[in-house]
Amino acid sequence: MGKLFRDRLPSLRLRLLWATGLVALLVWAPAGVLSYNKAQHEVEELMDGHLAQTARLLIALVRDNERHLGDLSARLAEMRGSGEEVYEPPLEFQIGRGDGTVLLRSPDAPSYPLLGEAGYIDIQHEGQSWRLLNLVAPDGNYRVQVAQSTELREQAALEVATQTILPIGVILPVLLLLIYLSIRRGLRPLEALAADVSSRSPENLSVLPARAVPREVLPLVTALNGLLVRLGDALDSERRFTADAAHELRTPLAAVKVQTQVALMSSDPSAQSHALSQVLAGVDRSGRLVAQLLRLARLDPLAIPPNLETVDLADLAEEAVAVVNDAGTADGHFLSVHAPEPAILIQGDRDLLAAALRNLVDNAVRHTPAGCAITVEVGVDDGHPRLSVRDNGPGVPESELPKLAERFFRGRAVRAEGSGLGLAIVRRIAELHGARLEAANVPGGGLMISLCWRESLPPSPSPGNSL
Amino acid sequence: MRILVVEDDPLLGDGICAGLKLADYAVDWVQDGEGARLALLDHSYDACILDLGLPGCDGLAVLRDLRARGQNTPVMILTARDTSADKIAGLDNGADDYLTKPFDLPELLARLRALLRRASGAVKPTLSHGGVVLDPAAKRVTLHGEPVPISAREYALLFDLLRHPRQIRSRPQLEESLYAWGEEADSNTVEVYIYHLRKKFGADFIKTVRGLGYQLSEEA
Repeated sequence: MGKLFRDRLPSLRLRLLWATGLVALLVWAPAGVLSYNKAQHEVEELMDGHLAQTARLLIALVRDNERHLGDLSARLAEMRGSGEEVYEPPLEFQIGRGDGTVLLRSPDAPSYPLLGEAGYIDIQHEGQSWRLLNLVAPDGNYRVQVAQSTELREQAALEVATQTILPIGVILPVLLLLIYLSIRRGLRPLEALAADVSSRSPENLSVLPARAVPREVLPLVTALNGLLVRLGDALDSERRFTADAAHELRTPLAAVKVQTQVALMSSDPSAQSHALSQVLAGVDRSGRLVAQLLRLARLDPLAIPPNLETVDLADLAEEAVAVVNDAGTADGHFLSVHAPEPAILIQGDRDLLAAALRNLVDNAVRHTPAGCAITVEVGVDDGHPRLSVRDNGPGVPESELPKLAERFFRGRAVRAEGSGLGLAIVRRIAELHGARLEAANVPGGGLMISLCWRESLPPSPSPGNSL
Repeated sequence: MRILVVEDDPLLGDGICAGLKLADYAVDWVQDGEGARLALLDHSYDACILDLGLPGCDGLAVLRDLRARGQNTPVMILTARDTSADKIAGLDNGADDYLTKPFDLPELLARLRALLRRASGAVKPTLSHGGVVLDPAAKRVTLHGEPVPISAREYALLFDLLRHPRQIRSRPQLEESLYAWGEEADSNTVEVYIYHLRKKFGADFIKTVRGLGYQLSEEA
């Protein structure tokens, strides 16, 4: 059980959640990084613009007011901005003449020479980084240098960028939650189906309702229903077999019991010994029945013959006839083998095939009057090997032919000597070998039961074996 | 007392017949439905023990046929079919009793006695007439309370007469109750056993009705 849990696939819900979550993240993360960078860049541009405007304003201010620059200095220092507001990083400035002499400077301005090239430059001055803008008045008489601390600029840019991507961070968990909820809702029919399936048991194998099921799951439900029907059939036949087996065992047991009681109640020694011999026969018959049941039970779960080897069908036929003759059970019947040249070889389990053939010959002996001829025939029909047992007895009513191999079936005219399982066992052995069991009345009288192989005989390498 | 056993299983049929013979019944045994039908047409049986799963024709069909002909022969079904539904079907189709395999021979015999008793309309388990008492369960006969030793044939003949106290029983009827198939009666065996019974229970116990048969005398 533990292994089952370890090896099973993660839940569909979790997988969907992971997938959609990951996709959302994959799309949103680059978008976030992009927005962040873009925001940062735009803020820098904006601040550069700010620098330029201020520089132009200062030039305009100094052009005609060189005399009042002292006052301006004090006033500008007052208005420069406190530096506490992150979006207003303080601007430092130097104002000078065209030759580079400084007329005016803000108190914290870096004392960087005014004579630099016009335009933006980034500098390091006394351990601090600055962004500078040098501007020259159109007539060349004045120069202005505006500076802003790089650190403060970056702080402002960072703040803006952060504020831009913050909503993404808030929305993502909400999105994931919504995805989770819709997945759960979407998979609810599966849960209902699971509950439906788990309510099935050997007692209740009714088919699943196919109406309330999503189209994607319909093939699964259809397949499951097919399985349920087959399972029900198999279970039914199993139950019938068990009931039949119990029923069939009861009769010999009843016979054993009643004969034992007759032996106990009787005072006549010959009646007693007759009853006891009947007890023995009854026990033998029960034993045979149990052995047949076990044989069938062991054959049932097999898919292929347990030992595959090359079997010569004519050999098999000779052996079966010899065994029956030797055992003295031929009972006045004439047994013969009819096999063509060359040998017909098949792949199969020799012991099982021998048992099947022996069963067929015994059946023929039992169900035909003494003096009948029983022939074991080996043949090939359209390239398919065939093994038959034919007699010239009374045959079987046509209506009973298809039922002959059913478990516990006994014909109308048949006395209940056998177990009713012999042909069922033969049919099972035939199935294991990929062969069909066929029963037919022979024109002119008699019954022929055949094992007909479905596969063609493989071409034999020996010369002269062409069919 | 003649019983028909219908059972297809040779071992079981043989056992039932042996058990019934031990209880001094005359027993005929057939092994299929058709044989049962013919036997029930040709002979009058005191009871029939009927298996249901027969080759050829089902036991229930034999039973339905029998009842359709108006024959009231007591029938006990003896079968391996043990479900309630089977028992109900058996009894409703005219069986008088239903016993499932495997069964107890003494129980079968006791049920058979009860079946025969009910069929003869008797109330008591013993049969009596003019000081003669026959106890079928113990297979014992007494005269005025004293046990009388009696042979199996004499017992069977006495049993038949006691079961039909006011009827004249013909010689063929009495022979039927004495002999199963294959046991041919001598031409005068019935007379011989009547003679033995008169010796044991008094010359007046059984009277001869000339040309018709025998009958128990009126009770004094």
